[in-house]
Parts: sequence; structure tokens; C-alpha cells
Amino acid sequence: MKALRRTLVTLGVTLIVAGVVRLRGTGGTPPQRGGWRELPADELD
Amino acid sequence: MKAAVVGLGAVGRRTVNCLADDPTFDSVIVVHRDPRRMGPIVEGWGDRVEVRRGSVSDLPAADVTVVALASGQRRAASVAMANGSHVVCATDDPTEVRGLLGLDGKARTEGVTVAVGTVMAPGLSCVLAAHLRGRFEMVEEIHVASFGTGGPACARRHHSALTSMAVDWEDGDWRRRPGGSGRELVWFPDPVGGADCYRAALVDPLLLVPAFPGCRRVTSRLEATRRDRLTSWLPMLRAPHPEGLLGAVRVEVRGWVAGRAETQILGAALAPAVAAGAVTARAAVWAATGRLSRSGSAGLAELVPAPGPFLRDLARDEISISSFEGQSGAFGDGTAAAGEF
Repeated sequence: MKALRRTLVTLGVTLIVAGVVRLRGTGGTPPQRGGWRELPADELD
Repeated sequence: MKAAVVGLGAVGRRTVNCLADDPTFDSVIVVHRDPRRMGPIVEGWGDRVEVRRGSVSDLPAADVTVVALASGQRRAASVAMANGSHVVCATDDPTEVRGLLGLDGKARTEGVTVAVGTVMAPGLSCVLAAHLRGRFEMVEEIHVASFGTGGPACARRHHSALTSMAVDWEDGDWRRRPGGSGRELVWFPDPVGGADCYRAALVDPLLLVPAFPGCRRVTSRLEATRRDRLTSWLPMLRAPHPEGLLGAVRVEVRGWVAGRAETQILGAALAPAVAAGAVTARAAVWAATGRLSRSGSAGLAELVPAPGPFLRDLARDEISISSFEGQSGAFGDGTAAAGEF
């Protein structure tokens, strides 16, 4: 019974840590300079 | 000229809207299992659009057939090819795309073109990559990212793509990685802005690699929220929306110009089904009028010989293309576009 409880607690903690690691943070930093410019039709050559 | 359309989801309906407005076709035949159930969809299509009862196995003869089905595209394409029709397939499903690319030999033999993947990504992404090719002496890397979903079938594909294996092209070989990995913050044109994107079971590399021989890396990523990633291994918890209204695609090409490493980025922000409908309709017009480069089965990066005019045609459908301009952080030499972010 004790072993089972420890296993379940370990699994639970592992899932929580994995979830936090998977979901937190972001994938980089936004561009510091520059931006989007719409291209007029005559520039699409 | 005559066009046939089968599949009336969000993309199919948008495609018919565009074809109905295009003077290239004298008639557009829409094939549906039960025309009585189409209801108000048909309003506003005009006299040139004819709705006909039918199924995939008895498609009408036409100069070009648009297949916008969620599944069974290869079978529909085979039937259309047997009618001597060019085929335009609006799909982003890897299994469908592999099946359609397998029709290349048969299509070449029969002298018809099968345009594969004519949605936002792949489709618009392929044309943008082909357009950027002209700015480089040698293309080294192509990175595609997309945001948003079209109709319900597209939303289901988005959901399943995050749990399937992603296939990227690296150093002359295919590399499989788990979907949902490889988070990267991607900056899309306004109003979308920044969004975290991940690897997923996407098809852009399958279509871009044959079009860019010698290219070292081709990757594709998909925007996903934290909820998407957390629930991707579950069935969809609620029914998908009828049509996504916000979407974007971004194509980054890296290569060499006059001995300098350079990065160029093009993108567009619009509803994915609108983009898919316009790209599919334009591909159908180009196929019917013999403006695609060859017979056989391939993506638009291979088939569109003049991406600039294709994009100008799309601009007439109110699809505007944007260029990211700034200074490159990746190469530190003041090149024209922003690099790593």
C-alpha cells in the first residue's frame, strides 16, 4: 500500500512538473527593429 | 471553359464564390450529394453556377476540377483525371498529399496537371517561397509558419497535427520529430502579431523540397495556444467553429546574394478559408488556361512559373502580401530583412 501511494505521488509530481515545463515561457523574443510593410501590386515582380 | 467543384466546406464555398466572379469560366458545376440541403449557400452565385446532384465517382467532364473534400482526394482526383481534366486539390492533410503526389506519373502520362495543396499553408506559402526564390542566387533554408484554421475540417486537422509526427528536411534527409515540440515565437503581419508556433504534421516541406533542389533546411510550424497543447492528446472538447476569421502565414527564406547571407520574409494576414478559396480558384484558372509550368502532380512552388503575376492576381482578390523589413540580427550585416526571431 505504501509503495503504491509513493508511486502515485511520484507520478503526480512528474505530471505536474512536465506540464509546467511544457506550458510556461515563450518561444523567443519579438523583433526589436523593423516591421511589416504591405507590398503594392507593382512590387510583386 | 468549364470548371467543376466537389466539396462544399468553408474552402469549397469560397472557391465557388471566386470562380463565379471570374470571366474565365462559362460555367461552374458544383457537385453535391443532396443539392436540396445546400440552402442559402447558393444565393449570390449567379447564373453561371450550376448545382448538380452527384458523387465523387461520377464527376462531370470539365477543363479543371477543384477537389475541396476533407478526405478521399486521391480518388476524386483519379476520377477527374480520367475525364481528361486538370485537378486542383485544396488539402493540407499529409496522407492526402502523399497520395496525390503519387499520381505524378499517371498525370504526366495523361498530360494533365494536379495542383496539390492549394490552401493557405501549403498553397499561398508555396507561392510566397517561389516568389522569394528570385531574390537569391542560392536558397539555403525555408521556414513556413501559419496561424489559424479555416472550417471545421481544418480545425480537426490542426488538433490532430499537434500530436502527430512532424517531418522536416535537414541536410538532405527527412527528419521526424514529435508534434508540439520546437516552440518558436513567430511574428506574423498585423493584426495577428506574435504567436508561439510548434512542429506539427504539416505538408509544406513535402511540397517545397522538390521545388528547391539543393535547399538545406525546410521546416514548417503551426501556431498553437497553451490549451491546444495541453488538450491535443484528447478528443476535441468542443465542436469546432464554422470558420476561423483570423489567420496568417509567414515564409522566411535564407540564402546567398552576391556572397552575402541574407534573409527575406513575406507574409499575409487574412482568414484562412478566404486565402484558401482565392488560391484554389486562382490555381484553377491558371490550370485551365495552361499557365502552370508542367503536367504531373506537384505543389504550387513547382507549378507556378511566375509567382509575381500569381500574387498580383491574388491582390485583385484583396489578398495583400506584406514584407518584413528591418535589420538582420542573425547575420549582423545590415541585410534587408529581420532574421532570427
